[in-house]
Amino acid sequence: MVLVGELSLWIALLMCAWSVTLSFAGGAMRRADLIASGERGLYAGFGFIVLASAGLWTALITSDFSLRYVAAFTSANLPVVYKFSAFWGGQAGSMLFWCLILAGYAALATWANRRSVRELMPWVTGTNALVLLFFVATTALASNPFEHLEWVPADGRGLNPQLQNPAMAIHPPMLYLGYVATAVPFAFAIAALVTRRLDAEWLGAVRRWALVSWVFLTVGIVLGMWWAYVELGWGGYWMWDPVENASLLPWLTGTAFLHSIMIQEKRGMLRKWNVTLVVTTFMLSVLGTFITRSGVIQSVHSFAQSSVGNWFAAFMIFVIVATVWLVAVRLRDLEPHAQLEAMISREAAFLYNNLVLVGIAFSVLWGTLFPIISEAVRGSKITVGESFFNAVNVPLGLLLLALTGIGPLIAWRKSSVQNIQRQFVGPAGFGLITGATLFVLGIRELYPLMTWTLSAFVAGTIIQEFWKGVGARRQMYSENAVIALGRLVARNRRRYGGYVVHAGIVMLFAAFAGMAFKLEYDITLADGESYTAKDPYGREWTFTNEGLSEFKALNREVVAIALRPTVDGKRLPLITSEKRQHFDSRGNPTFQPSTEVGVLVRNDMDVYLVLAGVVQNKAEIRVNFNPLVVWVWRGGLLMALGGLIVMWPQSEKRRRQGGYVTELAPAAKMATG
Amino acid sequence: MSEFDRRAFLVASVGLGAAAVAHAVTTGALGAQQPAANFAPMEQGAYRSTMRPDKPGATPKLSVDERDALEHRIKCQCGCILDIYTCRTTDFSCQVSPAMHRDVLRLVAGGYDAPEILDAFVQTYGEVALTEPKKEGFNWAGYFVPSIAIATGGVVITLLLRKWGAAARSAAEARAAASPVGGENEPGLSTADLARLERAMREDA
Repeated sequence: MVLVGELSLWIALLMCAWSVTLSFAGGAMRRADLIASGERGLYAGFGFIVLASAGLWTALITSDFSLRYVAAFTSANLPVVYKFSAFWGGQAGSMLFWCLILAGYAALATWANRRSVRELMPWVTGTNALVLLFFVATTALASNPFEHLEWVPADGRGLNPQLQNPAMAIHPPMLYLGYVATAVPFAFAIAALVTRRLDAEWLGAVRRWALVSWVFLTVGIVLGMWWAYVELGWGGYWMWDPVENASLLPWLTGTAFLHSIMIQEKRGMLRKWNVTLVVTTFMLSVLGTFITRSGVIQSVHSFAQSSVGNWFAAFMIFVIVATVWLVAVRLRDLEPHAQLEAMISREAAFLYNNLVLVGIAFSVLWGTLFPIISEAVRGSKITVGESFFNAVNVPLGLLLLALTGIGPLIAWRKSSVQNIQRQFVGPAGFGLITGATLFVLGIRELYPLMTWTLSAFVAGTIIQEFWKGVGARRQMYSENAVIALGRLVARNRRRYGGYVVHAGIVMLFAAFAGMAFKLEYDITLADGESYTAKDPYGREWTFTNEGLSEFKALNREVVAIALRPTVDGKRLPLITSEKRQHFDSRGNPTFQPSTEVGVLVRNDMDVYLVLAGVVQNKAEIRVNFNPLVVWVWRGGLLMALGGLIVMWPQSEKRRRQGGYVTELAPAAKMATG
Repeated sequence: MSEFDRRAFLVASVGLGAAAVAHAVTTGALGAQQPAANFAPMEQGAYRSTMRPDKPGATPKLSVDERDALEHRIKCQCGCILDIYTCRTTDFSCQVSPAMHRDVLRLVAGGYDAPEILDAFVQTYGEVALTEPKKEGFNWAGYFVPSIAIATGGVVITLLLRKWGAAARSAAEARAAASPVGGENEPGLSTADLARLERAMREDA
């Protein structure tokens, strides 16, 4: 199976080349036989990449240490689940994983549109196959997971302990599913530019793919935050690390696109901007992969420096040049069908929302690349750390939060003063009362106070929208509140799913602000000793060392501490933290000791425990009180749920069946020019 | 699909596949790679001494809290992206941050204040020892370029919105003047239809 996999990778390379050539030729010559052959080439490429992946998984599961990759990232005693996830634990495997997902998406996009948008499809298939060709070629020629060692070691080096975590088994696939999905809208954009079919047709085809990408990126980013929180042990979940930033960049521009696409769908405006956003989002996905793999930027979890960086750099330059040229020659076809009519309108709010989202993306990219720019200009290396990113992005984040609330309250085309007063008074009042209450309660820090005030305002807008919608349905159809709510969401999933996403955003921001009040204690405790510490809410906690223990588990030796927390006289469950030394199947230590943190999760805050070390039978411990952290995970979950509601396929059919839009479409088109 | 195409596809696939495999085997394309690690390795030898002679009659100028705050501004050089306080208190395996911490302790005991200690680390490691760039010279670009870009974008959008708004108003006035009956609406779209459309678009948002 391993040999089959190895050969399949090379055959997949040829299938991709075939698909690119035949699809583009078929599209240019309008020959159905060539187009169909190109599509078959893509399907075949997908099949061979599946075989190649099966080959690598077989080698990993069966510990075939004749392969360099298997020996480098697994050991015989590694739990099977991590042998499986080692597929994407190293560079070469993760490249093949990229290929697998991309081939799957490309095949699915081709199959799903086998009867629709036929004029676009040869170019979509060809572009997807071209991107796939690049990734398969890079994998096969520069980062091949089937590379053989000259001798077969008795055991492998094992997987980095920090990757032996359930979140790490899920987080990379989620991120990759999000990154790679940006290739499909990119392919549609290229196809639309080539064929000059730049109307709403291509947007309809890409909207769902953009949502797929957005949902997976959201889940991937939040899982990555959770992994960093529970595995890296520094007490936070976001450090503005270049690799973290790389995942945020396409998410930001993808979010901007999901808003601006609505303006094009409804008004035929922002056509150039939408093409630019689709291409930018894809390029940022590739850039993220480049940053992770090239070694040009230091990061805690980048892959080691390797030659694939050169491949990526060349590919990015090619794509940028080709796309800029294509957009330049199609500028006339991208003229808007309508123009914005008023400053106070939903369209204007979305434009500012796009500015802020893209502005944050730019500032994150700028901060990430600034060490390289500085070195090129001044010749000396610098570090751009958390404080820099916070200084620039926190105000922008607050502006974005405000726009999250403002946008839905303003009507399309034009809002009257009365309309604005009627819509804003409730949410704004709720926000101001919340802010004033927090101020009276003693919150004086500017950013947290602003964040919670704005969060209350946005929450007010969401509640108001649901309240009005449910009220209208109850009045019209005499439904009870629960049924009315369910049907309200089901009948207009895009709108109310979007509000669910906004609710998730509110939760996230409110939770981020909570970390401004985190408290840290470094303590040393012998067995049976206690320490008392105050939490951010002023309560006194007593931590008693219930004892250190040493034991062996699976592929590691463990030193663990158990602390018994007591607050307000109430004994809470034990919190344990571990130091782990992993070893191979012959008992030799592998990697440096790693830490497993202990977390007591509560609604108001996490109690976060890190065993830093043991000196003379005394445990050196870091205890953090991290306010509101659990709401980060809940907010992320809610955002993903909202994304799924928006994405649900039936929504558009129902919308068309039930609304006036189809009925009035011809007249509307005339009205909007 | 034509017979020719299917056959050509199969023949070419097999032929090209065989050629590629032969090429890979004969040229050893698989053997020219660098080993990859799944994490950037720690550089445990990155520590360099940042010692300075004690000042005459030296007494510490920093409290423990001030010293910890200072350590948040000095970056560990082990290859992580943490400051030395965070790294030494949470990453037990790092040998660089404890050594850098010891240098901070000695410098504090030697009577040096925070800016002097930061300068000492910069002299030893370069500016990369700081967790954020010094606010001087070209580094200002790092701080201000994003803000300038966003402010410029905001101005451009505002100007465009005004321009589009004015153009739309002019067009509406021209339409109203040209329409003999029924007011401002386009032919085929009654006032009632327009109201329904507006409502539908709002519901559809």
